[in-house]
Amino acid sequence: FTEMPTDNFVESSFWNFDALFQPQQHPARDQHDTFFLQDPAEALQLPPGYTAKVKKIHSQGGYGSQGYKSEWKLEEARKNLLRTHTTSASARLLYRLAQQEKFTPVKCFSIDRVFRNESLDATHLAEFHQVEGVVADRGLTLGHLMGTLHQFFTKLGITQLRFKPAYNPYTEPSMEVFSYHEGLKKWVEVGNSGVFRP
Amino acid sequence: MPTVSVRRDLLFQALGRSYTDEEFNELCFEFGLELDEITSEKDIISKEKGEEKAKGASETVLYKIDVPANRYDLLCLEGLVRGLQVFKERINLPRYEKIIPAEGEGQRLIITEETAKIRPHAVAAVLRNITLTRERYDSFIDLQEKLHQNICRRRALVAIGTHDLDTISGPFTYTAKAPSEIKFKPLNQSQEYTASQIMDLYRTDSHLRHYLHLIENKPLYPVIHDSNGVVLSMPPIINGDHTKISVNTRNVFIECTGTDITKAKIVLDIIVTMFSEYCEKPFSVEAAEVVYPNGKTHIYPELAYRKERVKPELINKKIGISETPSSLAKLLTRMCLKSHVTGNGNHLEVEIPPTRADIIHACDIVEDAAIAYGYNNIQMTVPKTYTIANQLPLNKLTELLRLDLAAAGFTEALTFALCSQEDIADKLGMELSATQAVRIANPKTAEFQVARTTLLPGLLKTIAANRKMPLPLKLFEISDIVLKDPNTDVGARNYRHFCAVYYNKSPGFEIIHGLLDRVMQLLEVPPDEEKGYTIKAAEGSAFFPGRCAEVFAKGQSIGKLGVLHPDVITKFELTMPCSALEINIEPFV
Repeated sequence: FTEMPTDNFVESSFWNFDALFQPQQHPARDQHDTFFLQDPAEALQLPPGYTAKVKKIHSQGGYGSQGYKSEWKLEEARKNLLRTHTTSASARLLYRLAQQEKFTPVKCFSIDRVFRNESLDATHLAEFHQVEGVVADRGLTLGHLMGTLHQFFTKLGITQLRFKPAYNPYTEPSMEVFSYHEGLKKWVEVGNSGVFRP
Repeated sequence: MPTVSVRRDLLFQALGRSYTDEEFNELCFEFGLELDEITSEKDIISKEKGEEKAKGASETVLYKIDVPANRYDLLCLEGLVRGLQVFKERINLPRYEKIIPAEGEGQRLIITEETAKIRPHAVAAVLRNITLTRERYDSFIDLQEKLHQNICRRRALVAIGTHDLDTISGPFTYTAKAPSEIKFKPLNQSQEYTASQIMDLYRTDSHLRHYLHLIENKPLYPVIHDSNGVVLSMPPIINGDHTKISVNTRNVFIECTGTDITKAKIVLDIIVTMFSEYCEKPFSVEAAEVVYPNGKTHIYPELAYRKERVKPELINKKIGISETPSSLAKLLTRMCLKSHVTGNGNHLEVEIPPTRADIIHACDIVEDAAIAYGYNNIQMTVPKTYTIANQLPLNKLTELLRLDLAAAGFTEALTFALCSQEDIADKLGMELSATQAVRIANPKTAEFQVARTTLLPGLLKTIAANRKMPLPLKLFEISDIVLKDPNTDVGARNYRHFCAVYYNKSPGFEIIHGLLDRVMQLLEVPPDEEKGYTIKAAEGSAFFPGRCAEVFAKGQSIGKLGVLHPDVITKFELTMPCSALEINIEPFV
């Protein structure tokens, strides 16, 4: 797995949410959960052709999807924020991959900081680190995803895994990964995953 | 993830059998739900207000189930039961029917043009001859609240109103009037109020005050009334007392108003499909006609059944299984997506019911097929993708330096990237505007107002928190700082900085200088003014005058080192002398 560049804490709503099919009215884009920036408040540039495509998918649908059929505002996408997940870097990576003349399969990872507007307590911090991995190739299946996750966790010493259906705006199917914690004697969630939506 | 609270015994009664907690947990896991907590009303009150207040509260067991955020059809007991029963193949998915009343007999909702500026859309429907019990009534109210919280975005997008049809007479008018012209008795109040008085009345109400701002400062407030002027509701705030439904209500008029028509339709569909179960003719909904300001009419609820065709091989391929088309059809039917094989057996026609508004693409159908198959039954395989792995050069450099700095006797620290304005400006003797800092618009606390422009405050705060540790304290950190940059597409970028501090009874400038030399040695940068690095005496607001130097590498300034100014030391609540070094390491990648 090759390391992805993730050295930008400041991200635009476009890459953090819109390009990942997270609807503009989604609760996660609320003031309560995301750090929006006062200065610089808006992204200076967004990829023009791509932005138009994203707008169409949200409001009308496309690539076989019905879309959200609700208004898509450019100002909303321009808002700058501190990224809430490293998936925004994955989105940029996939965009760059799509710009390539010839498709080459990639396997990428990143481990970096993300920010969420939470009150601090025993299990929550406003900034924490996420480990993220992306595999892009032809003919990938859900079984492949499960296998890759199994390999990854085995290296960490976690072998008992179960997968549970979940929901992410940008992946379908999505799975939460649970592992049995010997100390707590119960299954705890150790990760989230999914196959990116077409 | 929304949480639905259901009474365990009611749930088992509706499901037709009892489960142990374990068994039910398993069932939820398979289906995609999470049994979050098993509790009772008594427990809840105990936890929140103490044992005393909990005495006498109900001990009936409650299951708190976490439901995926996009499954609006699972937000109430009725929906959960229906979903699970179909999943377990104990019942067939009911067919929801729209009954269009004879000409002139149906209910009509007339929208006037005044609403266009404030809440333009409205939809309506009727549940005829419904039988409500206490539990069903509670569930009905709960569902509305859940929908309000989730898809309606706290009533901003859609607001739901349910009314006892027998207390009012249509046609109904949805219009907008000045606050002083609206007067009615709000739900559970004893007298009439004007709209402005209602605003004041609920300003302190813990539940309703959050919605007041949605219409408060507008010139006209939305209001729905019947043909006799009786007010049904003032969306999105509150319904009228006159039309409130009770356990004895037989006919319910439902209206949803809002700013997003798609969501209003979904909300209406969900409510009627869930509760039409209790109508005399189960799963039938009486349609209502909505008349628009331009004269056009539309029948609601839509209750649209959408058909989508998918290839069975696609489903098999995407999941990594190989099922026959007919078994795939069976799997999907179990997920409330009635399917059958068509074509020459190489196509599946999937019917998407109005309860599954979350299915918007073939991949959603694929997911449901996988859930029905059982995620944990899928064979795990590793993709045959061959790639060459690489570490990002900047991170590789960081990793190498970290090891050697630790070897030099310094301890690594990991500090927050967000800090207060004072941390990067006043405490270091600088003006905030000069720092090029990225500022946050909505920090929860003053500690997270800006993104750090220097690693120094973080390290100094770490020392302050560890004053009891033996001296000298030698800390370092190699991490990102954020600065505004008009050349990037977002307006800011990260820089990888390295910062080290030495805190002891004597400042130790020579130690910090030695560390810099060691780092340069590791980076193979010679001490040469043109081709390597050099230091020159300089001034720095955070540093002691005459004890500060600027570091240059290949002609570029990359940072400073020196003894910290006593003011800085005091402002960070430290007492001993301290020397520090901070440089940008990106030029060395």
